[in-house]
Amino acid sequence: MTRVAPGEGVRVVYLYDQPAVRSQSVYHAVGYATGVDGPDTILVTTPAEPYVSIGYHQRAADELDLGTCAALGLPVVRREVGGGAVYLDSGQVFVNWVFRHDRLPPMLADRYARYAAVLVATYQGYGIPAELRPVNDIHVRGRKIGGTGAARLGEAELVVGSLMLDFDTETMAAVLRVSSVKMRDKVVGALRDYMTTMRRELGVEPDRDEVVDRYLAACSRFLGRPMVPGTLTAVELARARELDEVMSSPSWTHRTDGRRVAGVQIHAGVQVHATEYKAPAGLLRITTVVRDGVLAEVSIDGDVTVLPQDALTRLEAGLVGVGAGRGQILVAVEQWYDRTGVDAPGLPPAELVAAIVAALPAPG
Amino acid sequence: MTDQTWAGCIVPDDLLYDVACDVWVRREDDEVVLGMTDVAQTASGRLVQITWLRVGRTVDRHRPLAAIESAKWVGPFPTPLSGVLVAVNAQAFGRDIAVANRDPYGAGWLARVRPTRWEQEAGLLVDGRQAFEHYRQVIAERKITCFRCAEQTR
Repeated sequence: MTRVAPGEGVRVVYLYDQPAVRSQSVYHAVGYATGVDGPDTILVTTPAEPYVSIGYHQRAADELDLGTCAALGLPVVRREVGGGAVYLDSGQVFVNWVFRHDRLPPMLADRYARYAAVLVATYQGYGIPAELRPVNDIHVRGRKIGGTGAARLGEAELVVGSLMLDFDTETMAAVLRVSSVKMRDKVVGALRDYMTTMRRELGVEPDRDEVVDRYLAACSRFLGRPMVPGTLTAVELARARELDEVMSSPSWTHRTDGRRVAGVQIHAGVQVHATEYKAPAGLLRITTVVRDGVLAEVSIDGDVTVLPQDALTRLEAGLVGVGAGRGQILVAVEQWYDRTGVDAPGLPPAELVAAIVAALPAPG
Repeated sequence: MTDQTWAGCIVPDDLLYDVACDVWVRREDDEVVLGMTDVAQTASGRLVQITWLRVGRTVDRHRPLAAIESAKWVGPFPTPLSGVLVAVNAQAFGRDIAVANRDPYGAGWLARVRPTRWEQEAGLLVDGRQAFEHYRQVIAERKITCFRCAEQTR
């Protein structure tokens, strides 16, 4: 990395209560405006209104229940950073690093580790046992607390994330496009089980300004550089206004050449998936929650006859803890057939296994 | 092609390079083939999506020919030479989105450009020997170790 001159500060720009689109456009604008000699900047931003942000390569119509977004009055803003759809509001303080590209580690794992170390220290300062779960998740006792992302914009490398004061899991689940009510219930459950916030950990939402002060003090300590309050330049502001227009336009938000990623990722180790599978016996609806490669929850229903009546419930329970692979599931299902003496016309073990496997996250 | 290697990072010496944006250049008649260097594909991580610029567009030096998304990063693939974009390797990336992570100097090429300012801009490129010296220094300073994605298994 390029050496930093002794005493060279990091510009800190506070941008509280910003319109939804500006809370995203501003870090893009600062990135694009960063020249080869530009300052390193940390933008501390909160939105004035709740909204939904989608990843750069996502298709809004595929990822979101746009009717619900409209009914709730939630703007949708596509960002030039990857990752998934996320509901955002004033419960999160965005802390976005816009640094000259040669001022951050070149390897992503190192870059994220440097960024996350400050968040971890801030949370730990409140007694919250946060830790980095590589590559870029921060966990508290297995629950994710906020997300992070990275991008290159012009001469700048960005690392973005948030201080997670609070998070509305119900609205987050409501805005996602999912295949069934059951899938949405599973997403709500998984968000509750595998995500956390400062409010949840402390029992009360901490004072925003104090959290930010502590965060910036930790930034100074970890980066070995003073934090210098500043403002946006005229060039950056002009660029932000341009980007406000672009990022508010339907052609930007609703691009059609994105990719669909099946399921909902709660964090790097937890995914919720659902599928409908046409077996000879009828239609099966399967929903799974997979945690670290193991089935954490399975829901099976559909237009099939399985006796005794509680057999499927017992199978769902029996699959919890089974590795999320075809072989392990086959063993568990065959044991279930043997143990329970199941009568399931048109639903041999192979069909049931195929249905469950279809509701698993893609490997790799 | 001779492969010069440092910390697992391969720098073929029969290519030209724009080391500022980590792009390799192979001249073929009046066109150039472009791709990510080993250092670039390592730093980006496994690609998950690419959005291509439309073929036929004229692009200035260092403007993006594609937007790349890896599992943990989004960024541009810039052209080291001004010119007309004559082809993109969408077919190979369509079959295997991580092809540049497996074979950055071969099947994982990204774009073919017909330079319009070759005379003025060719001198801004460096040869394989100079690129290797550059990367050796960068790799040491920035503690980079290159790695490739395993072959596709499905």
